[in-house]
Amino acid sequence: MNISKDDKIKLAQRIAWMAAGFALIMAVLLIANFAQTKLNKPIDNKTIPELVKRLSENPGDETLKTEIRAFDLMARKAYFTSQWQIRTGIYLMFLGVIISILAIRYILAAKSKLNEIDSVEKVNELDKLVAQKWVIYVGSGLIALALGSGFLASNSLKDYMVNENIAVQEEKPVETAVDPAIQEQASTPVDQAVPVAVPTTTENAVSSNVPAETNATVVPAATIAAKPAGLPTQAELKANYPFFRGPEGDGVAFQKSTPTDWNGAGGKNVIWKVKVPKAGFSSPIIWGNQLFVTGADAQSRVVYCYDKTTGKLLWEAAADNIEGSPAKMPKVTADTGLAAPTMATDGRAVFAIFATGDVIALDMSGKRLWARNLGVPDNHYGHGSSLIVYKDKLLIQYDTNKSGKLIALDTQTGTTAWETARNSKISWSSPILVNTGSRTEVILTTNPNVNGYDPQTGKELWNIACLSGEVGPSAGYAEGMVFAANEYAKLVGIKIGGGTPEIVWEADEFLPEVSSPMAVNGLLFIATTYGVLACYDAKTGTKNWSQEYGDAFYSSPVYADGKVYITDMTGKTHIVKASKDYQLIGTPELGEKAVCSPVFQDGRVYLRGMNNLYCLGK
Amino acid sequence: MNQLKRYFLLISVMLYGAIQSFAAEAKQRFPKPEFDTGYVQPHTTAPSPRYMLLQYFDVLVLLIVLSVVTWFVLKKRSRKGVFWTSVFSLLYFGFYREGCICSIGSIQNVVLGMVDPTYAIPFTALLFFLLPLIFSLFFGRTFCAGACPLGAIQDIVAIRPIELPKWIQKVLGLIPYLYLGLAVLYVATKSEFIICRYDPFVGLFRFDAPYNMLILGILFLAVGVFVARPYCRFFCPYGVLLGWMSKFSSRHMTITPAACIQCKLCSNSCPFGAIDEPVVETGKRRSNVNRLMTYFVLLPLWIGIGGFAGSMMHVPLSRFNQTVYLAEQIIEHPEVKNDPKNIDVRTFMSSGKSTEQLVQEADTIRRQFYWGGWLLGGFMGLVIGTSLINLSKFRKREDWEPNKTNCLSCGRCMDYCPVKKEE
Repeated sequence: MNISKDDKIKLAQRIAWMAAGFALIMAVLLIANFAQTKLNKPIDNKTIPELVKRLSENPGDETLKTEIRAFDLMARKAYFTSQWQIRTGIYLMFLGVIISILAIRYILAAKSKLNEIDSVEKVNELDKLVAQKWVIYVGSGLIALALGSGFLASNSLKDYMVNENIAVQEEKPVETAVDPAIQEQASTPVDQAVPVAVPTTTENAVSSNVPAETNATVVPAATIAAKPAGLPTQAELKANYPFFRGPEGDGVAFQKSTPTDWNGAGGKNVIWKVKVPKAGFSSPIIWGNQLFVTGADAQSRVVYCYDKTTGKLLWEAAADNIEGSPAKMPKVTADTGLAAPTMATDGRAVFAIFATGDVIALDMSGKRLWARNLGVPDNHYGHGSSLIVYKDKLLIQYDTNKSGKLIALDTQTGTTAWETARNSKISWSSPILVNTGSRTEVILTTNPNVNGYDPQTGKELWNIACLSGEVGPSAGYAEGMVFAANEYAKLVGIKIGGGTPEIVWEADEFLPEVSSPMAVNGLLFIATTYGVLACYDAKTGTKNWSQEYGDAFYSSPVYADGKVYITDMTGKTHIVKASKDYQLIGTPELGEKAVCSPVFQDGRVYLRGMNNLYCLGK
Repeated sequence: MNQLKRYFLLISVMLYGAIQSFAAEAKQRFPKPEFDTGYVQPHTTAPSPRYMLLQYFDVLVLLIVLSVVTWFVLKKRSRKGVFWTSVFSLLYFGFYREGCICSIGSIQNVVLGMVDPTYAIPFTALLFFLLPLIFSLFFGRTFCAGACPLGAIQDIVAIRPIELPKWIQKVLGLIPYLYLGLAVLYVATKSEFIICRYDPFVGLFRFDAPYNMLILGILFLAVGVFVARPYCRFFCPYGVLLGWMSKFSSRHMTITPAACIQCKLCSNSCPFGAIDEPVVETGKRRSNVNRLMTYFVLLPLWIGIGGFAGSMMHVPLSRFNQTVYLAEQIIEHPEVKNDPKNIDVRTFMSSGKSTEQLVQEADTIRRQFYWGGWLLGGFMGLVIGTSLINLSKFRKREDWEPNKTNCLSCGRCMDYCPVKKEE
């Protein structure tokens, strides 16, 4: 059968039209699909969040869980079906376009052997002149555009670097942390404390490397317990609150009848409230009737001692005239400041460290025992690791940008008992002491290791590389398991004691950035900077529950009297039952921002806000 | 023709809407499902590289294709042969090899090899870069005619080409130089392979592309129905290098196989405006010479001002560098540090670096852009200055001849010439 050229052209025309029509139909269907999914997005299904909300109110409802899963599956099916339809539709549409183009090309080729292009009228010399003119216009326009955008563009990198330098020159890095709105609350009716304004006396330091001039306020001797002899016993430590995150630094407070209801702004259950003269992010520590915090600014670094019962400032002591202490404050960020590390005490003396690298030991009456500078830490946020005491040794984590080390100072003299170099990057975690049954270890987290050291000799007992990034959270510990985590890394459960330590489980769903893990009664609690408190099974790493509060957690969870206390950055303390099921007990508010962890003693909570220190309870 | 234009406009609009729906949905990802059954999410795996032998096979294919298309252009003078060779290249280098490796992108490998001593340029990439240039140096841009998949896909859709006025061609013709300069700058600062990232057709070859690039590719094709090979003529950075080589080609294709009989049949045959017509000098010779001399004198000024303007652009230009972008993002929006969905910030946070270190790194890169901006701006000033000189130069020409720099050696004009090769 011979098909004429005309017939071939007609056939090609029909094919071209049909293919084009097909492509058009596919395009219309795709647009309709788009409109439909735009109006009713499976991912925005309102039912699931509503059901999840109901589930959070009633976590044990299995029927609700099944219902959520069914809805979730349905939404996913709808989404992926829609995706398949779109993909297939696009392929078919392309097919139609290609066939149509081929048919059109055939028609054009068949109709005419040579296809002349649609030409413009040309006058060579004139065209050249016009082209020159336009090249000049466009060239000048490009240059003007480049100059204009260059002038208008702000170089935030330069601004940042310049601003940082200004901050150093002005020596006021921590003052930005002070919220003027909060300062005004210092004269509220509940402020029962009387600031002590007494002349300073000159004290001679015990340590030979301390200059003669030191400042300390007069101490009302009657309020201070007599110095006990020897080393503190475990019972003594547990009865007090000597370190960051409790007697063992692991977030467990051995206290009973802890309060659950207060309101800092309204004065409800506020026993006393005082304004701490200088800013600081160190949490309080308590021994006997004395409570200690630190504060600092570019002018001075100070230890404050308060009467735990009344909030009266008993004494204050400046960490000044220390050999090696820098004249110019190191550059620190506003959210770390110069007084971030929490102090430590053994009941015989109190110890404090500042971002300058100054370490000071004071007796319980505020008299300087010794002081020394460890070298200004090269720390781009500011030194943040808290102190802890093991027998007669003050343990200091000193991981900086230059090197990492764990230092033990003699608590009596301040001389170096031992110093262990650490193969670590800079970190901000604090040491914790754990008793594995066979020995006591000091545990530290850093990038990349979790390490165990002998606190007596400083010998590294073990290490496991499992972390990364800028490690802020300290380790948690309970029943032979160490817990370490960091945001952008992972959460690990490490079994120690009885053999080589090993990671027994890992998780990465909820990771803390600053807040430390806390484990108790087979449960592990993690608080994140994106406002989630999560509870895991400490043995297996299985998540029991998670609760999103919305506001960031910088402070660490603390266990007391069957409850877990965690304070968010707005000052709300979320109190939950320490159990496998989520049960909220209360959400009392401080009335000001807070990043410090709550401290418990004698049925009261001591909590430091951005400006004020509170004693809460009845 | 108007009907055709309407038809393609309609299709373009439909495609736009449809693809938008695809891309919009692609952004709406569901979070990972939560499993209570101990299910472990599989790790992401990277595809293994192509076997070395097959990489050399690609080079062999390129060499064969270049030889065949050169033979079709110079010996057989067959437009049909050139066209079907380009279809093969489209299928092989485009759809089968998914647009990679390609000579256009190899510019970046070569530049990186020159600026980064730790980077060893793959020999196959070097060959992909050099072979078309060598062929161009001797035979003209036969690579563009039949070996480039990007050219081939545009050539197929060039159904109703129109001729653009000279001034538009000249102005748009500046873009490839700018693109080339930017590509070199971004590679030299180890920022980005922008030629690959913004390849408008690779998404079509792979049936998978980011929304914007898919739309860009379709728009190039839609425009290419009327303005033949818009990417090749007004964007391709490799075309700049090929043009430079081709300018000196000794065996470039000719419109006529023998003496031109001045029939003018070829005058409207080139959809790329790459045929130079016979010219005789018009106007006053003195004013023409004065203009040319003025442009010569102004050339250093163009270079200087261009360099300064380029250096002024270093801040916005450097924002395409990921380190600079990340540093500025963290400075201007510190809250992103707490955004678990921001992959770049998460990666930075897990690196252990401080913000200060990041800012210092970014500042170093920005200073590189400052000096790179001088070079880029100076280069563009040189291009603009020499364009003006070329436009004011007079060269007597008596026949219709392919412009060696711009001619893509597609062979269309050969079919129009009534003079046939003597056997």
